[in-house]
Amino acid sequence: MNGAQHILDTFHRHSIQTVFGYPGGCIMPLYDALVDDVRVEHVLCRHEQACALAADGYARASGELGVCIATSGPGATNLITGVANAHRDSIPMLVITGQVPSGLIGTDAFQETDVLGMTLGIVKHSYLIGNANELPAILEEAMALAQSGRPGPVWIDIPKDVLLAGTTPTPMRQSTPQDHSCPNLSGALAMLRAAKKPLLYSGGGISLAHAEKNFREFAQCSGLPAVVTLKGIGNAGKHSAYNLGMLGMHGSRAANRAVDECDLLLVIGARLDDRATGKLDGFAPNARTIHIDADAAEFNKLRDADLALRGDLNAILSGLSAALQEAPLAISEWQKQCQTSRTTGGFQAADNEEPLAPITGPAFIRQLSRVTPDDTVIACDVGQHQMWVAQQYQFDHPRHHLTSGGLGTMGFGLPAAIGAQFANRQSTVINVTGDGSFMMNAQELATIRRYNLPLKLIIMDNQCLGMVRQQQELFYSNRESQIDLNDNPDFVAMARAFDIPALKIERTDQIRRGVETILAYNGPMLLHVAIAREENVWPVVQPGGSNTDMIDETRRTPADNKEQVA
Amino acid sequence: MSTQSHPQQTPSYTLTCRMSHEAAALERLCQVVRIRGFRIAKMAVESVLEGTDETLDIALTIQGARPVAVLQSQLEKLHTVAEVKLASPALAHAASRIA
Repeated sequence: MNGAQHILDTFHRHSIQTVFGYPGGCIMPLYDALVDDVRVEHVLCRHEQACALAADGYARASGELGVCIATSGPGATNLITGVANAHRDSIPMLVITGQVPSGLIGTDAFQETDVLGMTLGIVKHSYLIGNANELPAILEEAMALAQSGRPGPVWIDIPKDVLLAGTTPTPMRQSTPQDHSCPNLSGALAMLRAAKKPLLYSGGGISLAHAEKNFREFAQCSGLPAVVTLKGIGNAGKHSAYNLGMLGMHGSRAANRAVDECDLLLVIGARLDDRATGKLDGFAPNARTIHIDADAAEFNKLRDADLALRGDLNAILSGLSAALQEAPLAISEWQKQCQTSRTTGGFQAADNEEPLAPITGPAFIRQLSRVTPDDTVIACDVGQHQMWVAQQYQFDHPRHHLTSGGLGTMGFGLPAAIGAQFANRQSTVINVTGDGSFMMNAQELATIRRYNLPLKLIIMDNQCLGMVRQQQELFYSNRESQIDLNDNPDFVAMARAFDIPALKIERTDQIRRGVETILAYNGPMLLHVAIAREENVWPVVQPGGSNTDMIDETRRTPADNKEQVA
Repeated sequence: MSTQSHPQQTPSYTLTCRMSHEAAALERLCQVVRIRGFRIAKMAVESVLEGTDETLDIALTIQGARPVAVLQSQLEKLHTVAEVKLASPALAHAASRIA
């Protein structure tokens, strides 16, 4: 068995059935081995970046390892954005690239790049295989490492001669067993009981730890008013009584107000990202902090914790729930205050009563949320539409909301949706995108067609880079610079060129029928939604500002006070 | 007039670190030091063979204004790092208890 065949054998043993890749010179031995393999489905994307993002979407939607493959040089460099995206959001991923033959490394050979060197900062770990006998042990270690503790991408760069050489496995390295221990919870419970206004703040770490069930039990039995980060959306389910929604730059007034007023912040599986906290000096000024996470490096990184608990989130949440079920918290006044606040300061989008009125982004997403099944997976891109989805769509599970949180990668949504559809073949998967983001990986329409994926694509088209335009309007004296996309292609014709049916809507009375039409169609379909160019995401906090200084629509710059630049 | 802070005014720390001698081991370590806000003032490296495993013993003098405990935990997170010790203890996060 040569190195390439050994990789496929390892995939079989670990039940890896789907990989995303693109062939080329130095990875050819692996593609040659794939010819004789019937157990691994190789999904050929049309760009290596899309391979990595599809593997990311597969991992997010399934909770399993995503795998992507590319060749050396440009194949590897094209993967980088997708791998960085996975790294920033702690997504378990195995990346395999071919490298020039060992003897040519360092000679500026054709399609040679120092992949190990240039990717150090965007991986959990990486390897350059020195000889074929190392490959079996490193593959096992890499797969375990990608999925253990705080997950992340692990990259294996394999010279072509290693892929072709016979392997004699060396002994496996001793791996550190997963820590499922539970730290002492008495301190946390004492702080919770002493607090009058405790607030639960959860993030993407809940689903990364597969702790969704225990989190919901804890949220329910504690009765804690709760806020979520962008990646924590769905943690509490759509029917949670005390969920105040997303906090931060585009968070709800209710969520940011609760953070400002609380006297104890219980942070679970979140890293206190600047988009969530705003200016740190003004963040939760009256609160003591308990920080619970799988990664000790997050403690005290941005805000000192009064108590930090590192461990298995399932064990910790389960322990806290058991204690609180015996003796519930007495916080009814605070609960009542937060519920009232949610009524007045939650995300609200008025449904437009005028049938011929132009479509507004928030109202469209709210309608979409009403029409789609509960288990629908929404893969967003980055920009205004991403925030409207975060604000208005009612998610029942965090794995139903795929969004590029840390890196903010435009072009994420379409390949991520492809990955999610391969992970959930029967589910409804929708890519909600903007006209800017869509064009960054539009070539993947060919992948949808090739595999006849029943994906639904919704382009919210405001003919500009809306989020940049919004910030230029609000924070750069309305000086618009390089945001116009009014020469977009005809998206309906473009989809049809890939043999994907499409339709366009532009009036409020067309929303429901448009969404129902694409959902009912047995195959991929694109919905082109024309929305107003001047629409903004509200509320908004100025970058670097405090979350208490939320700006709303009444402070919008008048349209006539506008200067066009470039 | 330069607005750069003088290196001597920046807190200085000495770390010792043991890590496996894999490809790019030192680059990985140095990159974390840099990106987390420190500069390396002095560095000594020795390769040590323990049985069949080759490790690196590294002594680092670093300068930076950020809390060194944050850097220490980021270095400890590296897969190939076995141990990081702060030789000249920094001011610890007195307010924080980590269980």
